[in-house]
Amino acid sequence: MPKQRIEIEDLKNMEKRIILLHGVFAPAFFDELKKQSPEYVFILEGRPHLEAAKSSAQELLKRGMTPTIIADNMAGFLFYKDLVKEVCLSYVDTSKRGSLCFIGASILVLLARRHGVVVSLYPSGKKVKKEMIALEKDLLFFNGVRVAPKKIKAYVPLLEWVPIKKIED
Amino acid sequence: MKESPLFWPARLKKSVLEVLDETLIPDKVRYIKVKNTDGAVKVIRDMKTRAFGQFLVVLSTFLLELGKMKSFKKTDLKGQQKVLAKIQNIASSLNKSRPTFPFAEVTGIVVRWAMMAIDSRLDVRSFVMKNTQGYLESIRAKRLERVNNIAAIIEDGDTILTHCNVSGELAMAAALCKEQKKEVHFFATETRPYFQGARLTCWELQQMGADVTLIADNAVGSVLADRLISKVIVGSDRSCANNDFANKIGTYQIAVVAKKFNTPVYVLVQPSNRIRTGKDIPIEIRKAEELLKFNGKKVFRGKVEGFYPGFDVVPAELVKQFIAIKVTENA
Repeated sequence: MPKQRIEIEDLKNMEKRIILLHGVFAPAFFDELKKQSPEYVFILEGRPHLEAAKSSAQELLKRGMTPTIIADNMAGFLFYKDLVKEVCLSYVDTSKRGSLCFIGASILVLLARRHGVVVSLYPSGKKVKKEMIALEKDLLFFNGVRVAPKKIKAYVPLLEWVPIKKIED
Repeated sequence: MKESPLFWPARLKKSVLEVLDETLIPDKVRYIKVKNTDGAVKVIRDMKTRAFGQFLVVLSTFLLELGKMKSFKKTDLKGQQKVLAKIQNIASSLNKSRPTFPFAEVTGIVVRWAMMAIDSRLDVRSFVMKNTQGYLESIRAKRLERVNNIAAIIEDGDTILTHCNVSGELAMAAALCKEQKKEVHFFATETRPYFQGARLTCWELQQMGADVTLIADNAVGSVLADRLISKVIVGSDRSCANNDFANKIGTYQIAVVAKKFNTPVYVLVQPSNRIRTGKDIPIEIRKAEELLKFNGKKVFRGKVEGFYPGFDVVPAELVKQFIAIKVTENA
């Protein structure tokens, strides 16, 4: 893989070269990914628990691939700069409604559609509890530190249904 | 009108510029004492202040430094040139502090006043100070007027999504809405990695008695798809001739999703035509460490890298309405 420490001047040489991962994937997914020798693998943090970034980072590192972590609000920048080659999402369930993905998936699907980027769906790697909503406190703290004032309400969806047609259209 | 401390986050007190340390909110409301240009550059670079705070610090730094300078007679041309050189040096230092905010546009105004004074054989120091003070007063009045304009856009029953922090204006508009008996609910994104939404926006909305709910940055798609949001209101750090604008990272994806769900996006802007389109805006890439560490502790195990672009560029076509303030240079 090329260098992963990215400076502003590097961006012009990264057009359509980033694979963007979001969710929790099975180990086999990373084995297949390694075979493709991807140039840049970016992973989203996955607030509130950061489970998406933490699990993908470890799997990538085990296979000698260095992940680049971005915050969940930074995906749009990569699309705007036309840097994304493919989006890989994991899902925990499917139905007529579409795919039940980690929260944030719908943003990525809409960005991908706007910028003509392929979205691929993979089954989630482990038994993810299908909890739709987390506790408020999960968002009010980061790395053990309180980040919001006391008595603030929080709404913390963990999963969201992404209609299949949004991906296929 | 009740003011949020974030509305006017810097104040000149004799020979010291006090700048609100936004990184300590909501735990403490504390002001950093800035004594010179280097100190001003540091508070900007360390993101102790941002957005409108940067603008205020820049103009106040000229007042701070000029206030400390001795006066020269109008006829002392060498002395007047010294003042001009000082102003140009201050401008040069401030211009290098951060790349995306248009520092050179703001300092350029002050430098032009100084040149004008030289050409007209006026006392540069007093002319520039008087104009800067007048300009700040005019900005203040225009921003207060804009608070009213924001409140007028917000309707009874609205649920507003905002991102990062709009430097007091949205919170003050929320207070006005409350006075006007409008029922309004706010959703604030947390705004990683500095949590300006969680720390600043939630705090000031709460202080103003508004009803606010915090969401993660990645929950924007969910709340918009579920039609929980009726309007999006955000600020901006830089505008272009074609109305594209730069704002805190995360704004572009919010605008894209809002467009999909026909939710109108309103943007507080300071119009400028110095830059043609959003593609030409220089975007600051900050240190990955600011993303990968929090409170001095690593967030992720192993040798991972991080990428932290500080701002997004948002195309004008995604915006329903720009809420502008326009202040003329000659206050």
